[in-house]
Amino acid sequence: MAVTVLIVDDHPSFRATARLLLEVEGYDVVGEARDGTEAIAEAERLRPDLVLLDVNLPDIDGFEVASRLTKAANGTPSSGPAVILTSSRDPSDFGSLVHESGARGFIPKAELSGAALAALLG
Amino acid sequence: MRTRLLLWGIGAAGVVLGVLVSVLIAVSDIIDDHAANIMATVLIGWSFLGIGLYAWGTRPSNRIGPLMVGVGFAWMLGMLQCSDLALPFTIGLVMSPSAFAIVLHLLLAYPTGRLGSRAARAVVALGYADVIVGSLVYAMLVRNPDGIENGPRNLLLVEDAPGAADAALTALTVVGLVAIVSGALLLVARWRAASTARRRSLAPLLWTGALLLVFAAVMLAADIAGSDDLEDGFSIFSVFLLTAAPYAYLAGLMSSGWARGRTMGDLVSGLNAAEARSGVRDAMAEALGDPTLTVAFKRHDRDEWVDADGRRFEPPPGREVTEIARDGQVIGALVHRGGLSGDPELLRAVADTAALALENERLQAELRARVAELRESRANLISFGLAERRRLERDLHDGAQQRLVALSLQVNLARAKIDDDPATAATLLDSAREELAQALDELRELARGIHPAILTDQGLGPALTALAERSPVPVEIGPLPAQRLPSSVEAAAYFVVSEALANVAKYADATHATVRVAREDGHAVVEVVDDGVGGADPSRGTGLRGLAERVAALDGRLEIVSPTGCGTIVRADLPCASS
Repeated sequence: MAVTVLIVDDHPSFRATARLLLEVEGYDVVGEARDGTEAIAEAERLRPDLVLLDVNLPDIDGFEVASRLTKAANGTPSSGPAVILTSSRDPSDFGSLVHESGARGFIPKAELSGAALAALLG
Repeated sequence: MRTRLLLWGIGAAGVVLGVLVSVLIAVSDIIDDHAANIMATVLIGWSFLGIGLYAWGTRPSNRIGPLMVGVGFAWMLGMLQCSDLALPFTIGLVMSPSAFAIVLHLLLAYPTGRLGSRAARAVVALGYADVIVGSLVYAMLVRNPDGIENGPRNLLLVEDAPGAADAALTALTVVGLVAIVSGALLLVARWRAASTARRRSLAPLLWTGALLLVFAAVMLAADIAGSDDLEDGFSIFSVFLLTAAPYAYLAGLMSSGWARGRTMGDLVSGLNAAEARSGVRDAMAEALGDPTLTVAFKRHDRDEWVDADGRRFEPPPGREVTEIARDGQVIGALVHRGGLSGDPELLRAVADTAALALENERLQAELRARVAELRESRANLISFGLAERRRLERDLHDGAQQRLVALSLQVNLARAKIDDDPATAATLLDSAREELAQALDELRELARGIHPAILTDQGLGPALTALAERSPVPVEIGPLPAQRLPSSVEAAAYFVVSEALANVAKYADATHATVRVAREDGHAVVEVVDDGVGGADPSRGTGLRGLAERVAALDGRLEIVSPTGCGTIVRADLPCASS
């Protein structure tokens, strides 16, 4: 069965291209969200396997969204979706934030591909 | 000249009246001590008359002189009471209390000659009403006050009614007492409010006057109580004090001159010794006896008041302001409490003496204001620069960078599809080309916002022409300076025009705009005029604020005239260095 994906990004052109790319690579894109609030609601509703999450969102910081999606209220890891962060910035701009957010990893936007996702999902 | 003649005439009349009254007293049968009464008549009458005329002559606009002359005449007419002839006796009977009402007026009006407060006017009015109404009513009811057999005929007598006359006299006395006590209270209040310098000049007459009022009050009270001994005793004192009053005024007149001289001497040495920044203010506060005194300075580089630290200054409400000028130019102002303007001569003298020292302080205050402005402008410029860089980073991230990311993904995708599905790959590459063209456009626009290359290479004229051509509203470029301006000025001028034209396109609803740049007196004046709806608010919108900062950094001024319905003028005045 194909991996289900929720794409979270405030740029429509990126969402469209990423959807196209991931679908070509055999992923099942079940939804899109434009900001952090919508991302959390959609993840709750759609229960995707994977959330591809932009770091720079207009409302809530991507790291914070990742944290809420991956950790239960008591701080222990929950059974939520796998989160992979993405950004047009370089990963070195974010230091240890990626790791601390509970995300599986980070892919620069320009390097997004099914293979890169698969490598992080293990 | 006419005043002089009038004064001489009044003086002569007063002398004649004194002589006449003295003669009438001398030949009167109804009194025993002729000499004492004649002495009292001329001593008090002529003292008030003479000093009153002197005061009138030296300060013609001050009512103190005429009031003193009035006391002299009223006193002498009152003494006609001693005459045994019907007409003089009647005049004296009516006039005898009036001198006291005028003395009350005199004391309350001292030293300006004006009754400063409503309370003072009320007290004086009460005094006059009391002596006029009271003494007329009394005169109509009493044959003669001392009940002398075969005394002079009272021409005003309507009916001899001793009981009613006593009642009228008591009423007259009680009302007089009220007026006198109120007057004394007002004098005490005046004393407490006066500055040190002013007290020096107020002292002689105020103390004599206050004592006189106290004695008069005790006398009247004794009169009501029927204690003749007390009344007689105090009456001697009050005659003495009444005689002293005009001389006390004379002393006050002289001592205020001396006091002023001493005050000014202190001020000059205070100014010379002033080392601390507050020294000049302190010396003036001391001289004027106003510890709350503050000094404000007028900036000559712009029409604005500042304090000694160069901070913008507004006089607090309720304070009086006296401007200080030097060589016909306002350099500062003394902000002082209200009472000081009662002595305008002292205030003026202090201000004039301190003007030189104040000019020096003014220059320092102006410099401090300037430094503070530069500091603020530098801080604004730095934060403006930071904000600008944040905006650029955001523009780059949201614009060109996103397009390039999408482009990269599309190329990846096309590469993956090129063998199985060449048609889709071609569509993807077309879309990628579109994405690339837009990214280039955005980068170009961004670079122009940072610094337009055409300005550096070709100068202001071609750069403004390029701006005009890009504007959706028709723009006419007016005359431009023939020579290049300093590059910082050209850049500021360019961005003023760029922002103004962007606003014309966005908000003005204009059909036409004109751009002019002129060199005037070492300044570049940049003007963008449109025929749109006007009503632009410079405080709204970051664009105009940023422009104002950019212009202020060059020591220039940005002005926006935008009456609703009448178009908008954006004018920047930019000082050019000598280049």
